[in-house]
Amino acid sequence: MAAKKLRRARLSQELCERLSRHQITTCQDFLCLSLLDLMKVTGQSYGNVQKLLCKVSLACAPKMQTAYEMKVRRAVNPSSAFLSTSLHGLDKVLHGGVPCGSLTEITSPPGCGKTQFCIMMSVLATLPISMGGLNGAVIYIDTESAFSAERLVEIAGNRFPAYFDSDEKLFSMTCSVYLYRELTCGSVLKRIKSLEEEIISKKVKLIIIDSVASVVRKEFDTKLQGNLTERSNFLARGASLLKYLAEEFSIPVILTNQITTRLSNGPAIQADLVSPADDLSLSEVLDSSLQSHPLVRLPKNRLESSRILLEICLAGASGGRKRESGCVTAALGNTWSHSVNTRLILQYHDLPTRQIRVAKSPVAPFSTFFYTIEKSGFVLQGDPILKVTGGIKQK
Amino acid sequence: MQRDVGSLPLAPALRARLVAAGFQTAQEVLETGPCGLSKDSLLSPEFWLQCTTALGSFENLIVSSRNIEIGISKEEALEALQVVRQECHSDATRTAGAPGTSRKCTALELLEQEQAQGFIITFCSALDNVLGGGVQLTKITEICGAPGVGKTQLCMQLAVDVQIPECFGGLAGEAVFIDTEGSFMVDRVVDIAAACVQHCQLIAEAHQEEDHLKALETFSLESILSHIYYFRCRDYTELLAEVYLLPDFLSEHSKVRLVVIDGIAFPFRHDFEDLSLRTRLLNGLAQQLIIIANDHKAAVVLTNQMTTRIGQSQSTLVPALGESWGHAATVRLIFHWDNNQRLATLYKSPSQKESTIPYHITPHGFRDVQPPAVTQNPEGTEMNPRKRLRREEEK
Repeated sequence: MAAKKLRRARLSQELCERLSRHQITTCQDFLCLSLLDLMKVTGQSYGNVQKLLCKVSLACAPKMQTAYEMKVRRAVNPSSAFLSTSLHGLDKVLHGGVPCGSLTEITSPPGCGKTQFCIMMSVLATLPISMGGLNGAVIYIDTESAFSAERLVEIAGNRFPAYFDSDEKLFSMTCSVYLYRELTCGSVLKRIKSLEEEIISKKVKLIIIDSVASVVRKEFDTKLQGNLTERSNFLARGASLLKYLAEEFSIPVILTNQITTRLSNGPAIQADLVSPADDLSLSEVLDSSLQSHPLVRLPKNRLESSRILLEICLAGASGGRKRESGCVTAALGNTWSHSVNTRLILQYHDLPTRQIRVAKSPVAPFSTFFYTIEKSGFVLQGDPILKVTGGIKQK
Repeated sequence: MQRDVGSLPLAPALRARLVAAGFQTAQEVLETGPCGLSKDSLLSPEFWLQCTTALGSFENLIVSSRNIEIGISKEEALEALQVVRQECHSDATRTAGAPGTSRKCTALELLEQEQAQGFIITFCSALDNVLGGGVQLTKITEICGAPGVGKTQLCMQLAVDVQIPECFGGLAGEAVFIDTEGSFMVDRVVDIAAACVQHCQLIAEAHQEEDHLKALETFSLESILSHIYYFRCRDYTELLAEVYLLPDFLSEHSKVRLVVIDGIAFPFRHDFEDLSLRTRLLNGLAQQLIIIANDHKAAVVLTNQMTTRIGQSQSTLVPALGESWGHAATVRLIFHWDNNQRLATLYKSPSQKESTIPYHITPHGFRDVQPPAVTQNPEGTEMNPRKRLRREEEK
């Protein structure tokens, strides 16, 4: 809207030509000038300039809708407002599931299941609407090369055995998950910019970026001067692009993040927290030095290996250096926390149980659920196993 | 009449010609006889013919034979004269102190106005007390806070509360909600509005007065939602355009008493290399909002983000958008966490003391933490329905 050319804002031809001589071609340039500048540039009197401002504003101002109209539109199409996570307790708390049209973030220490969650959501998005899915394609932007197609098929086959009973169904499901491997911040941003056309042509209903933090933290070292602002700029630009895509097409966007340790004394820690639920150190947590542990880089496509990994890491951490005091929160800073609308935090509890917490949500209070990772993906404890809608046989 | 020609709101080119012709005050422009002017021979006689015909104040009109064209068309000349005349007229009335056009009044009149003005209650009596009754009309209130602390919740609560009928202690107004972050959730507003309607119904049942029941007929969920006017601005250009168009919108919808801009920081925090442009735009916005608040007797509520300020030894959270933005708002509230409790601090106010109170976000909306001590209100006027509102709710 901002880049709308003034010609299309119904200004007269000669005025547009005169303005373009001063390098003012878009509505954005026009509205950024003060009134005196505008008088000088257009050569019009004060009253006329105000009328011109109104005209240009009308051309790029958003349309008004009342809250009632929005509610009616939602009521007409209830299934399109959320993507059910098939975790019954979580869906209930979130009023339906992962909301469409806004950004959802999954944060956790390494190895808790972020990529598993993303793979599970990819399967869910391809399901037909009668089964709680969105009947669409999925765009999966992978920056850590952690995506495993084998696991995708395994989850699909075990979670919905009655639906994916034939190879063709599995095949068509895998055809609708589009994987992009991007390894730098710049390429991620370029990919996000190109998504608009892809969403329309491939009928995409879910965008997953796994993970934002790894690529950002690789490139921007915040200890170096100037990098902090560059990093915030990149994140803010990415966030606004993704928000635009989410709202324009009414689709959910899932992003994954890592954790970081904030080492500082007492009162400042509290001020930095997004919310108490965000402070992972309030419950059992791994020392974040594990993130640099060489073993952690191994692909986690087998449950066994990740469990062993964890034990090694725990042994290594507690044996060696003493645990530093500090608080452990989601990475990427405060500005990023403002940009995401919903935040879910995964954590270890007692192996193999882990917990998933709703840390930030406009509709849900803080809540915690325990889950395990099985062959069929996430299983909430206390959930009736595989309760799916639509006449599928229950286990 | 002594107004300098350079300050008249004419087209710059015309103004330059008049100044070059040696005119210094508006009086000179209106009074210079054609003889004197033709001797200067800088303006065509046709122009002066228009002047004198328009003014009708000269009997003798001598058209000079020397006729030097400077290219002002007759329409332009007439327009210029109309502008000059209007400016002089309004200047004259202002100095004469005519009622209605002057902007001065005594402090007593202001006091009476302020006392007669209502407040927008927040349903959290502690916060209302700290603010001196609630969110004030004709003032800009800014709410800063970390992500997830409840700023948007309070905005949605206020958008509902402004519509409470007068017999229940509200303002019976409408609300404009300008959203830049996409955090407005209709479902949540439905919950808040339903709780508010239920609350009023309880009061009406308890008191059984005529006007209460009549007001309840029009105060329903549907009417509340229809009177929240929602605009979604995707970037700062759309925000600027919308604020330019807001006065016209408010003149059409004269019952609007609240303008909420949720997320004034978000569009200005990324992609802005030119910080001085940002400061200028923000100052312009602040001025326009103050004018809107005063002219239309509306309350303006803005939400701001927090940013990390890196100090020598530790970093602190401060409101975003810089120091100069801090002057824009009249009242500033900062929301923050203390362990598991949400707190609101009144940080800047012209009339109230700085204090901190706890608050809660319940499924019904923004509320107190515990029932306020009913006995501690000696000046609670017995017939004030607003006080009754709070007491009822804690039952």
